[in-house]
Amino acid sequence: MRHDRLVLILLRRELIAGLRAMRRRDLAWIGLGGGALLAYAIADIVLALQAAAPRLRHDQLLWTLGLPLTLAVLGALTGNAVARLCLERAFAPFLKALPLGSRQRRQMAGRATLAIFAPLGVLVAVLVGFACAIIGKPLPAAWGVGAAILFALGFGTAAIWRLRQPRLLLDEAASETAPVGRPRLGRLDRARPRWLSSWAWKLPGGHLRPSWKLAAAGLLLAASAILGAWASLAGRTAGPAAVAGLAGGILIFMLSLRCQPLGSPVLRTAPIGFTRVWLRLVQLPLQLSLAFFLLPAGAALAAEPSAWAVPVAGGLWLLVLNGAYAVFGAYFLNTPFVAMLSFASALAYASYETLEYGRTVLIGLAALVVFLWHRTRQRYRNG
Amino acid sequence: MDEVLAVSGLSAGYRGRAVVRGIDLSLRRGDIIGLLGANGSGKSTLIRAITGQIPLLGGSVMVDGVDLAAAPERAKAGFGLAIEPHDLPAPLSGRQYIELVASIRGCAPNDLPSADLPGADLLERLELGRWIDRPIAEYSLGTRAKVAILAALLGRPPLLIFDETLNGLDPVAAWEVKRVITALCASGRHAVIVSTHVVEAVPALCSRAVLMADGSLNRSWDAAQLVEAGRAPGAFEASVMQALRMRAAA
Repeated sequence: MRHDRLVLILLRRELIAGLRAMRRRDLAWIGLGGGALLAYAIADIVLALQAAAPRLRHDQLLWTLGLPLTLAVLGALTGNAVARLCLERAFAPFLKALPLGSRQRRQMAGRATLAIFAPLGVLVAVLVGFACAIIGKPLPAAWGVGAAILFALGFGTAAIWRLRQPRLLLDEAASETAPVGRPRLGRLDRARPRWLSSWAWKLPGGHLRPSWKLAAAGLLLAASAILGAWASLAGRTAGPAAVAGLAGGILIFMLSLRCQPLGSPVLRTAPIGFTRVWLRLVQLPLQLSLAFFLLPAGAALAAEPSAWAVPVAGGLWLLVLNGAYAVFGAYFLNTPFVAMLSFASALAYASYETLEYGRTVLIGLAALVVFLWHRTRQRYRNG
Repeated sequence: MDEVLAVSGLSAGYRGRAVVRGIDLSLRRGDIIGLLGANGSGKSTLIRAITGQIPLLGGSVMVDGVDLAAAPERAKAGFGLAIEPHDLPAPLSGRQYIELVASIRGCAPNDLPSADLPGADLLERLELGRWIDRPIAEYSLGTRAKVAILAALLGRPPLLIFDETLNGLDPVAAWEVKRVITALCASGRHAVIVSTHVVEAVPALCSRAVLMADGSLNRSWDAAQLVEAGRAPGAFEASVMQALRMRAAA
């Protein structure tokens, strides 16, 4: 095996190992469910494009600014992520003591980034060309190629910037993979407040230590609550404060919930059931979330006492959403960011489909939450 | 050149803070040096500094006559490090990892010091045959350590470094690895650094030993002292414990 293709080989092997690590039943669920959902989404998009074709064809702003900008930004984000992924493999800990120069490692990462770009570029060209053909835009192939070029420009710029970053080489901490840029998303996954989990178990580490970050987050949330309350009181309407309370409450819950202890053998081998563990983990985030909700909800009630149902409904929705997110958080126990993203995507998709099919879609969302709960409990019990 | 490692006034650490300081060490071909010390004494940091994994804060490291700071790639070609088992790339198979290291070192995957080792093929001696084509993720700690050792021997580098590699091995593999180390150094072409917590293995295996405490070399034993200590069961361990106690008292 030649080491110049190392990065691609590692990525491919990691993917295969990840797939092998999954149960066949789960893979089948993901394959069938995901495939069906994808087919449905494509059909839905095709229909939507056909319906809006006349307007889309002549929308100058879309073709001159919206689409190019979107493609360039998308390309830049993808290029940055792919280059980072490749650099992490090229600077993996097991290569640190081998006679491989920094330049050579960057070249390996660069080649792998290029190899990953090729299918992505083709995919962008095909998708845009296909969409243009559907709405009857002249020269769909040319639009497809143009889109791929714009995507490539964004991708290439970000990837080259990332690959030329002067940081890393010698991992001074020497305890983890050499950092490549700022692992923002990963940082969120490892982020404080870890103390919440410890708090649930009344451990000494659970005492809250004040920090500037915590103070800044608290100030920001307090400002948004005050702003919402002020808007309601000034306009004599319950809406703004109720929305601020609901949005802030769920945000606090999502940022403060950490379910890593669910994966700990200490708990899994202790004589305590999954539900009790889960409830204790949820306890403090829920209290924080509701405590935040009370101020805007009170303002909403004061602003429009006759509309008492609005803050009450907001509170009930907050409980429902917090409960649903707590299940997502427990399912993706080691990656709160993925949990947040999945939850937000599920909500966004359910909201979109609700426009078409009404609130029956919520039954589907509830079924998903129940399924995730069931799988999480099974995993806690059986590993 | 007989001297394969010359460490002079070495200081190294993390984020500008020195963890090891004032280290002077020299190794000639044929030497087997045992690196001892409590957890946190600086053994692994010293090895990371010698192998160019962390920057030096002071001093110099010469590997087979090549300055590590001036020509890191050339210097790194002069040693083989058996990396910590959990650092091995889990998605690759043992064979792929060996091939990969061989490719980086610019040698054949079977370029092992077999001529210096009497008996069977190294793969068989380490009982790696049935594991070598399976993913490293499936290996036990000991099997991972064996693969790391095999990779360290690729290209027959003059300096071999085993950082607590013996700790995870089963008795048979540990005995085999010790035989391999002894045979390689007896050939006069290699020198070995063995960092270990298995103190009782040192007198029989090593020609010298050093004890690290609080980031510096606290005490050393030469070949004669090791032979003397190795005669009575537990004598060397007692000697190490005494040195540690004296250090703690000071």
